[in-house]
Formats: sequence, structure tokens, C-alpha cells
Amino acid sequence: MGASKKESVEVDKKKNSKKTQTTKKEKHNTEESVLAQKQEGAATDYKELSADDDSEDYKSVGESEAGDGESSGDEGNHKSGSSEGLAIDGQSEDSEPDQGAEESDSSEDEVAPRNTVGDVPLEWYRDEKHIGYDIAGKKIKKKEKQDKLDSFLANVDDSKNWRKIYDEYNDEEVELTKEETKLVRRMLKGKTPHADFDPYAVLGLVRAIRKGYIKFDKPKEEPRFYMLWGDDASSSEKTGHLSYIPAPKPNMPGHEESYNPSLEYIPTQEEINSYQLMDEEDRPKFIPKRFTSLRSIPAYENAVKDSFERCLDLYLCPRVRKKRINIDPESLKPKLPSRKDLRPYPATCYLEYRGHKGAVMSISAEASGQWIASGSSDGTVRLWEVETCRCIKVWEFGEVVQYVAWNPLPELPILAVTVGQDVFLLNSGLGNEEIQRKVKELLHVETPTAPEDSGNKVSGWSWRQDDEHEGIRLRHFKSVYSVEWHRKGDYFSTVMPADILSIHCHLIAFLFLALESIVLCMKSISHT
Amino acid sequence: MDGDVEERRVQARFITKLKPPYKVPYTSIAIPANVTRFGLSTIVNSLLKAGNDEWESQPFDFLIDGELVRLPLEQFVLAKGISAEKVLEIEYIRAVAPQKEDEPSLHDDWVSAVDGSCPRFIFTGCYDSFGRVWKAAGECTHILEGHRDGITSVTIVNPEGADSVTVATASKDQSLRLWKFDTEEHLDQPAKIRAFKVLRGHNASVQSVAAQASGNMICSGSWDCTINLWRTNLSDTEGDLVSIKKRKVKNNVEESQMEVIKNLTSVARVCKEAITGEALSTLVGHTQCVSAVHWPEHSTIYSASWDHSVRRWDVETGKDLSNIFCGKALNCLHVGGEGSSLIAAGGSDPILRIWDPRKPGTSAPIYQFSSHNSWISACKWHAKSLFHLLSASYDGKVMLWDLRTAWPLAIIDSHEDKVLCADWWKGDSVISGGVDSKLCISSGIYVQ
Repeated sequence: MGASKKESVEVDKKKNSKKTQTTKKEKHNTEESVLAQKQEGAATDYKELSADDDSEDYKSVGESEAGDGESSGDEGNHKSGSSEGLAIDGQSEDSEPDQGAEESDSSEDEVAPRNTVGDVPLEWYRDEKHIGYDIAGKKIKKKEKQDKLDSFLANVDDSKNWRKIYDEYNDEEVELTKEETKLVRRMLKGKTPHADFDPYAVLGLVRAIRKGYIKFDKPKEEPRFYMLWGDDASSSEKTGHLSYIPAPKPNMPGHEESYNPSLEYIPTQEEINSYQLMDEEDRPKFIPKRFTSLRSIPAYENAVKDSFERCLDLYLCPRVRKKRINIDPESLKPKLPSRKDLRPYPATCYLEYRGHKGAVMSISAEASGQWIASGSSDGTVRLWEVETCRCIKVWEFGEVVQYVAWNPLPELPILAVTVGQDVFLLNSGLGNEEIQRKVKELLHVETPTAPEDSGNKVSGWSWRQDDEHEGIRLRHFKSVYSVEWHRKGDYFSTVMPADILSIHCHLIAFLFLALESIVLCMKSISHT
Repeated sequence: MDGDVEERRVQARFITKLKPPYKVPYTSIAIPANVTRFGLSTIVNSLLKAGNDEWESQPFDFLIDGELVRLPLEQFVLAKGISAEKVLEIEYIRAVAPQKEDEPSLHDDWVSAVDGSCPRFIFTGCYDSFGRVWKAAGECTHILEGHRDGITSVTIVNPEGADSVTVATASKDQSLRLWKFDTEEHLDQPAKIRAFKVLRGHNASVQSVAAQASGNMICSGSWDCTINLWRTNLSDTEGDLVSIKKRKVKNNVEESQMEVIKNLTSVARVCKEAITGEALSTLVGHTQCVSAVHWPEHSTIYSASWDHSVRRWDVETGKDLSNIFCGKALNCLHVGGEGSSLIAAGGSDPILRIWDPRKPGTSAPIYQFSSHNSWISACKWHAKSLFHLLSASYDGKVMLWDLRTAWPLAIIDSHEDKVLCADWWKGDSVISGGVDSKLCISSGIYVQ
């Protein structure tokens, strides 16, 4: 019986040892994984998890708080960490010798008396009848071992048998709950045991802590005090009075005011004499004096005066805020564009159109850019070819030509010229036959037999055919300053500077582009 | 002289592509290192003289590593980083410079266009609206009348065939005319010729004209920003001109003076009216005056314009294939050089630019020649050479350029006023016409 018992015990022990080995393996895995996690360092989560942990290894005096347990040195941390990690699986129901009791109010204490043997190897109790001692000091008796056969049968019958693990330390069978099996499974796979736990979030937290984003210390409290004697400089904003301008701070005494300043501060007799020569205002207000001992210091002669003046400064001196505008005078200058911005600007003269004898008063380019007309003070209008500076045509007028303007339409090469009181519309002679024909048609006007116009004012304009210059001549009553064509070439306006305020301009429905109509309708509208 | 300063010497060997008697022996000789081109030329001449007693000195030009030597030899070698230890291979070519200036042929007005592509004659266009054919300096053989305004550009359409040559003229009267004449006949007086075809279609002055190599078509660029293509239809109009040559001209004047305007009316009545031609197609794309056109290949036309661009057109489709933009209004354009694809263009600044459109990347000019002082009015590649071209400018000078050096090879200063046009003639002469109404011929230019 004894032998069989022993055998059974041995067998059981072997089984147990196997089981413990497997559990040990599991625990090794878990240990490793947990250690790996631990190396990443976040202890905070574990803290909570291990709150209800009893690592029985710790026979610390009294009950040790989880926090204290952690703070008990690095090694302790490591161990507690590993034990905490181990504690996660099955909530430390698989107790190993190296688990320590952390808190006494854990759930396991309500169960059967726990073995308090600690690190004592269980082999020593092999021959004994008890497994160890409970917390009260009583022996914990070994339970009756089942026969192998019985236990095998029990294994087969019981569907939950795979969950049962024999806890050697406590000499009992422990059944893992579903959550616990899940945890174990997860650990075997190498994942974190707790499903909700995300190690990557932990990593983030770790990195943040390392970088200093998350701080553990409490935020500093704002110092809750204020200056009793307000600083004049800063108090000005706080006062609501817009007109209150505090007096300037009196200067603190420096080296010169010392009763025994360095020798270089003290003026020599010559310097003192020279002060007499200066004006009252230029003299230094304070002349440093040297006294070898405190008792030889006389009274400060200006004491009353200084304090009186300070009082004046404080209450009797009107201070006004002067609004000074700080304008940099350079900023008032208009900003001229730099030379580079103006590029391409003409820098070299390549072509010269020579021919005029007097100053050139005005030039105008034809619509296509092939010709230029210029009017000059020598009384001529010249037509130039742009490319070669060749003068193609010259018109003589006798008077100073004020202004020339080409008709903007390329089909009508008509040149308007202002000479004295006349505006001439000239046929420039350019273009092919067709264009010439049209221009000639347009530039034909018959002398009006009866005056036609609106009758508001006496018309001062007269139209004449000018054969000498091949065109039309429009006489004004005053000298014409300039002539401008409308963009469409139908109208043109002339400007006569009469008085300062009034400018006459009249629109002539003249060159309407109904080129079929030879008859010209003339309406002159004059504005004053 | 300083006895301390030793004259350094360089080992050199002269090679040439010229034929004997220009060849010197192939041995290497030591020459002083500070010789200039003139010194090298004298050395070669003396070498040639040593081999041939009847040798007459000629100016030579020298190339080292494909670049013309323009500095003293020492400085050139230093600048190029050529090792002075080895024997220098100096290639010499005959100096490109005009040796003779013919007497200028006077016109009545500005000579605005000149064409020397046919070696038998020179064809000029003038602001007095007449085209003229010259056999040699001062010998005008034909006068082409018909235009109403100055001629802006001329081109020889079909130089083949001795008996009838076709030429085209473009004028400010917005038309082009085609003419045919015979170069072989001998005339005492210049013969007056009328156009056999008048091409109308442009709305503004026709600025330039160019002929296709085959002679069937011409293209013209105008101030109305378009390029028109015209057929020259040689077959229709052979019969008209036979009678014209026999007209007598009343005045006996020097061949270069032209005063027969009064006779024009009688002549005009006799010959038939020229037929009018319409444009075959129009190439639209430029936004300003098309100042120069060139038709080097059968299906490609190059055009330069005052809108700062050089465009390449495909004749069949009528679209512009590429557009080189330079910042200056261009006056002249010619395509030639290596592979007939280098584009030379000059415009309203004194720099002659050459582009290579085959080069990928930027469209910056590969060569820029800036020795002129004023606008460039004409530029022409030499027909046979890969490197030589000429340019004419408003500063009165015609310059001959070699791509291998930045300085002009020669400056021909025969005009007093602006030079409006220039061309090569007979492969060794340069002809130019300008505001001084002269046609100048400089000959004796050896261009290989």
C-alpha cells in the first residue's frame, strides 16, 4: 500500500512534474514574453493588473503596498515584474514558489489555506505527510492521491479535464476558467495575454515619456502673491487711468554715491575748478567724495532738496504722453523700381531718322508698325519707313505742326495732323489700289452750301477739301492742340485749349465704316 | 634685347587639307612660342618657298584642334590647356579674306535685295521698283520693270538652263512678280523685261520671298503676318517673252544708269498682260511682320519675324512645327552649315545668332557673334562650307564669320551707309547692296 502509494505518488509526482514542467514551460514563455514587454518598460498598466496580485514570494514585513513593492529596488522590480507578469495568467492561481503575496485581501485568501513555505523546495516534503504550513502555522495535509487508473478515468470522463492543473504547491487541483485559458493561449502564441491590452499603444506612451511629453510630476501651482508695492513700470497698464503716467524711478545709488568710492571716481582739484567754469546746468549734480570711515560722513546736504524734488515729480509734475510718430524719413521717399525691373529698356540707339530741320513735335506709328509719321516745328510732316529710316513722303504746311495721329484702322491709312487752327486729314498714299480708292472717297468733302448745323451756337468749324495736301481741312476758330482717333477709327476728337476750364471737343459722325456711303453726314455737337 | 629671356620654342608640325603646291613637308620644326597668326603665316610661306621657288606669299589661317588661332601661340596653347610637350599639329587653311574689290555698280535708289545663287549673274532689287540683272561689276543686262513700289526681296527660282532663268521679286506694292529671261544673250543695252506672272494675295507689303529647291513653288512673307505659297507654273507662259527682247531702248546710257521710264508705256502696250496668280496656301501663325523666309528642304519652310520668333513650318500640313523664341525682332534668316540645319538669324541688335534645332534641351543659340554695331540686315551661309557665313549690318559693314572663332574673319567696309542685303557669289565673292545705292562685289575669298 505504501509502495503503491509511493508509486502512485511517484507517478503522480512524475505526472505532476510533467505538468509542472509544461506549466513551467508555459510560464517560461509567459515569463519571457512578459519580460520582453517589461523591457519596453511601461509599468503603469501592470500596476493595475497586479493590484490584486499576491506574489507569495514577498514576505515583506506587514502588507506591502503594490507601490512600495515596486519601489523596492531594481531587482525587486524585476522580480515583482516577472511575478506580476506571471500573476496575470490565471490571476496567480498557478502559484509558483517564486510568487510573493502582495496584498492580503486578494481573492485567493478566501480559498483554502495557502502554503506559506516560500522557496523551500517541495522535495523536502516528499516523505512528509504535509505539504507545508498555512498562515496560522498549521500543517497543510496532503490530500489523498487518486489511483492512476482512477485519475485516467476521471480525465476521460471529465470534459473540462484539460483545464485542470494540479497545483503542487497548494496540493490542489485548479481549474482554469475560460478567461484564464484564453490568456494562456494568447501567451503561447506570443501575444499579450490581456485582450484589451495593446502593446503598441504602450510603445507610444513609452516613447512619449522618453521624449518628455508626458510628465508625471504635478503641475506647479501659480504663485499666489502679488506685489504690495507695485512696480511703477508695470503698474501703469493695470491702472485704468489713461492719463496716469508714473514718475520715473529714482536711480539707485551706484559706485559714485558710495561713501568710499574708488579713487578714479573722485575728481581732482583741477576738475573741480573746471566745474566752476562751466555753466550751472552743465555742472555735475553730484561730486563723489571719499570718507575713510562711516563716522566721518557728513549729512547729505541735498537730502531735503532731493526729497522735495521727488515729491514734486510724484505729484506736482504734469506728465503728458507725447504721441511720437517714428517715421523713417527714408520710407517717405517713393520707391523707384530698380534698373533690373525695367528691362528691357532701350539702351542703345540704333536708328536715326534724319530729315527734319526743326524740333520734332510729335510722332505717331501706323497700325501695322511699318511706318512712322512725324510732325515738326519746321512745318513739315514726314512719313518714314521704320525698318530703314527712309523718308517716304513729306508734307509742307508752313506752320508748326502740333500733333500727328494715324487712324488706328490698318485699312485706312489716314493721317490726322493739327497745324495751327486746322486739322488736316491726309491720305498717306500707302496701301494698294483698293485701299487708296477708299481713302480717296472718304477724304472727299463738298463745300457746304447752306449751314446745316444745330444752331445752338455759331459753328466755328468749316470743312474744306484740300487738294494741295490731298485731304480734308477742318478749320477751327481757335488753334488746335491735339487730335485723337477713336479706337474704331470712326471718330476723332480735337482739343483746343481755350480757357483753363473748358475744353472743346466735338464728335463728328464722319468716317463711319459704311464705306459704301459716299455722302457724308456731318453733325457737329459741341460741348463747352 | 634682353639676353636673359630665352625664347621658348614649341615643336610644331604643319598639316593641311589643301592640295599641293600648298603642302609643306611633314617634319616637325621648332617655332618660337610667341608667334601670332602672321608669324605662322610667314613661316609656312617660307617653307613653301623653300620647296618651290616661284611661290608667292599668301596669307594663311591656322587651326589647332579645330579652332582658329587668334592669340599668340603660347597664350592660345595655355588657354586651351594643350600640352606644350608634345608636337603641336597645326592645320593651315588659306585665309578667308577678300582680296579684290570690284567697282561698285550704281543704282538709282537704295539696293534692297541681292541674290547671287547663280554664278552667271547677280540679281538685284532696288527701291526704285526695278529689278536688275548684272553679269559683272557695272554690266547690267536686264531691267525688270512692273512693280509700283520698291522691291523688298528677290530670289532666283530656277537657275538651271542657260536659256531661261526664272526669278521672283517681292515688293511693297503687295504683290510678287515672276520673270523669265535669258542670260546667255549678249546685249548692248539692258533689256527691259516684264513679268510673266503677278502674284496677288497679300494685304500688306511683301517683305521676303524664297524659292523651293525644285523651282516649282515660292513662298513669301509679308507685313500682314502671313506666309503665302505660290506656284510658279513655268509651263504656261513661255511664249510671251520672246518679243520683248527685241525692243529697242532709246537712250544710250551707261549700262548702270536707268532712265527709260518714259519708254515703259510703249513697251507695256506691246507685250501681253501678265497673268495673275493666286496663293496656293497660307501659313498663319506669326503675329508681326514676317521679315525673312527660307525654303531649304522640300517640305520645310523657316520663317523669321518681328514677333521675335523663328518658326519652322511643314509645307504639306501648313502648321508650324517648332518655334524658337529669341528676344529680338528678326530681320534675316538663313539655314545652312553642318547638316544644313543650323539656323542663323540676325535682327534688331548687333548680335548674329546661330541655333541648332537638333540639339535637345534649351533653345539658346549655340553661337553668338557680336562684332557689329547696329542692326543686322542680312545673313547667309556659304553654300559649300560647313563653317562660313556672312552678315551685313546697318553699320555699313559686311563681316565674314567662321564658326570656329569668335572674331570675324574679314570685315568688308565698302558701304558708307547701311548695308541692306548681302550674299555669296560664285563661291568666292561677296556681293552687297546698301543705302548708298551701290552694289559692291568683293572677290578672291577662298572658302573651302
